[in-house]
Amino acid sequence: MTSFTCDESVSLCEGNMMEVCGSTDSCLREFGCEQSLLSRPDGSASFVQGDTSVLAGVYGPAEVKVSKEIYDRATLEVLVQPKVGLPTVKERSQEQCVRETCEASLLLTLHPRSSLTLVLQVLHDDGSLLSCSLNAACMALMDAGLPMSCLFCGVTCAIDADGRIITDPTAAQEKESRALLTFAVDSTERKVLMSSTRGSFSVHELQQCIAVSQKASEKIFQFYRDSVRRRYSKTL
Amino acid sequence: MRRRRSRRRVNACEAGFPNSVEMFSRLKNKVGEVLLPGDEFCFDTDDTISLTESVKAEKVVCGPGLRRSGDRLVVCKSGVLRHKQPNVFWMDAQQKRYVPAKGETVIGIVTTKSGDVFKVDFGGSEQASLSYLAFEGATKRNRPNVQVGDLVFAQFLIANKDMEPELVCIDGSGRANGMGVFGAGGLLFMVSLGLVRRLLAPGSEIMSDLSQLFPCELVVGMNGRLWVKASSIQRTLIVSNLLQSCENMTATQRRELFKRVAQGAL
Amino acid sequence: MAAGFKTAEPLEYHRSFLKENCRSDGRELSEFRTTTLNIGSISTSDGSALVKIGNTTVICGIKAELANPTVESPGKGYMVPNVDLPPLCSSRFQAGPPGEQAQAASQFIVDVIESSEMIQTEDLCIERGKLCWVLYCDLMCLDYDGNVLDACIIALLAALKNTQLPEVKINTETCLPEVTSEKKHRLKIYRHPVGASFGIFDDSILIIDPTAEEEILLTAQLTVVTDEEGRLCSVHKPGGTSLSGEKLQECITRATTRQKEIQKLIDKVIESVKTAQ
Repeated sequence: MTSFTCDESVSLCEGNMMEVCGSTDSCLREFGCEQSLLSRPDGSASFVQGDTSVLAGVYGPAEVKVSKEIYDRATLEVLVQPKVGLPTVKERSQEQCVRETCEASLLLTLHPRSSLTLVLQVLHDDGSLLSCSLNAACMALMDAGLPMSCLFCGVTCAIDADGRIITDPTAAQEKESRALLTFAVDSTERKVLMSSTRGSFSVHELQQCIAVSQKASEKIFQFYRDSVRRRYSKTL
Repeated sequence: MRRRRSRRRVNACEAGFPNSVEMFSRLKNKVGEVLLPGDEFCFDTDDTISLTESVKAEKVVCGPGLRRSGDRLVVCKSGVLRHKQPNVFWMDAQQKRYVPAKGETVIGIVTTKSGDVFKVDFGGSEQASLSYLAFEGATKRNRPNVQVGDLVFAQFLIANKDMEPELVCIDGSGRANGMGVFGAGGLLFMVSLGLVRRLLAPGSEIMSDLSQLFPCELVVGMNGRLWVKASSIQRTLIVSNLLQSCENMTATQRRELFKRVAQGAL
Repeated sequence: MAAGFKTAEPLEYHRSFLKENCRSDGRELSEFRTTTLNIGSISTSDGSALVKIGNTTVICGIKAELANPTVESPGKGYMVPNVDLPPLCSSRFQAGPPGEQAQAASQFIVDVIESSEMIQTEDLCIERGKLCWVLYCDLMCLDYDGNVLDACIIALLAALKNTQLPEVKINTETCLPEVTSEKKHRLKIYRHPVGASFGIFDDSILIIDPTAEEEILLTAQLTVVTDEEGRLCSVHKPGGTSLSGEKLQECITRATTRQKEIQKLIDKVIESVKTAQ
């Protein structure tokens, strides 16, 4: 009996893990993603970008509290848990960004009067945290099998003192940067769903960053596809 | 081994596209491939219609995970595109949360008894109602013996996003047809919805492998709940563990495991 | 008739106006509501301002306190902005701890202050490592009718321009700070960030300065903050439907002109306060 329960856990570990992107010309750090790694949530995913790592779990469509019920669509709640301590105002603002991005891509009207809960646990922050959270959220929502009109991904760009644009910066690069811009890009039209910025920058720099993010998003979406394909490889 | 097989009906939307012959072939080309939400099937409007081939107005029937938006067909769930003759397409997704669909059979737990209806938890976003008259042979006088906490195998009579789901334990002709309250004993456990569909698929390999091991009673609910009863508790546990471990195994891994169990590794 | 239509089908109601390129309150799509500004409204605070954009009213009071500088930056003072959306301002807010919107707004104001570098926190330092000023900037919404972020930024900027800090010296013998209330100096404002908020209606129509009614129906919101040099301090779009590059450019152009208008307004009000004294 024990022998095959053991087997199972081994196959789970190697089952959905995959890593790509040897970060040479792509300027993105090494990516990693594992789907449905938690047993309790309806959908779960961990997303790793370099040393930044976020774990996401989705519950739903589940029963909704009467006070939060919306008659024509599902209620989406996003909770961001920091690595240490309790959530602060910064986490609240991240929650708002992730929630509204998810709301735009999910087809919430297909599950009226129900609740969706997305919990994001930060495992380690080494820069580009918001974009990593967005990516983890997207993979978890996909894993939960919730109907979505399109996918989305997050890309962070840092502009350093010389005006160079660094995509997917580390915490050290973020600290040295003059401005930091995070965008969420959708998979169908490659348009900007979400934008959150820090520091001051010119209009030209903004447009450059958007263009760079759109380009980087191609790679991320390809990574999503490979990662999901890998997951379904056993049932093909 | 007795198996209660539920007839599966997909919540289908028919999409009669103006140029559906082409749509059909495009979909057909992608069958068995992994698709992601946002992937589209659309056609060029200025396509020339061939005069030699006869153009039939074929309809494409879209199952779960495919949506029609304007003149395009959009994928809304990640998974594998499946096809059933003649023209049914759907996305096969590995999902854990159950969303009710009309006609599907599920295993539910009776949670409350209120007046004429029972409330049944089936793992969805709200509880379903089950009338006490919806059992074989039940009348106003002759009430079925159902207690809170009992398991029921029932079929959805009403299941749509805007109404409370309703279960019944009889088929169209008033027969139980395998449905009703479960007897004592047995073990209830959960698996993914993808595995349930694989188990229920006609000529399922897992089922045929399992039936060669030893006799057991197995009830498969479309909501991911399985109920097993074998001659002894140990055997019941073996079956449940085997099924749960099938989730992430390839066919060869599974056969290997089943062989070891059959040889009496336990 | 119209009132009933508005209650039953708010989306259709607004759509029928937008079809004619105007809005239910008679504005054009790219027209702000009348913005009024009152500076120095709270006499007990160190600096204050009241802003009205249409019905939306935000009051900002600044309280300066003496404190020890933080260990990480001994040569700097600091600012603590806080946005409050009390139940008074709208039925959508409940009493108790601040909701998500209020917290997100507070974080947004923090980000704008940092990004724009409107104030150099070194100016708030009195003695390195020992004493500095803390500016508590409390922003309270009195009437919520949409576009609270724009109102908050204007109120904060005007209140900071109004702030006067007394001179403080540390007595060398007793090592205690001595405040000379008669000698006051104004805070130096380096940059003047002003925001402009936009809403996207039905995934495509861009409207400016949405009211509370419109906000509920919007599919996305966007706030662009620019300073007098035309640099962007924040492009805040928390989510919602996507926005094309051309539309974004349109928003930025509108935000730059808005910044000029508001800066002129602030200067005018400050001037009138001076002459009145």
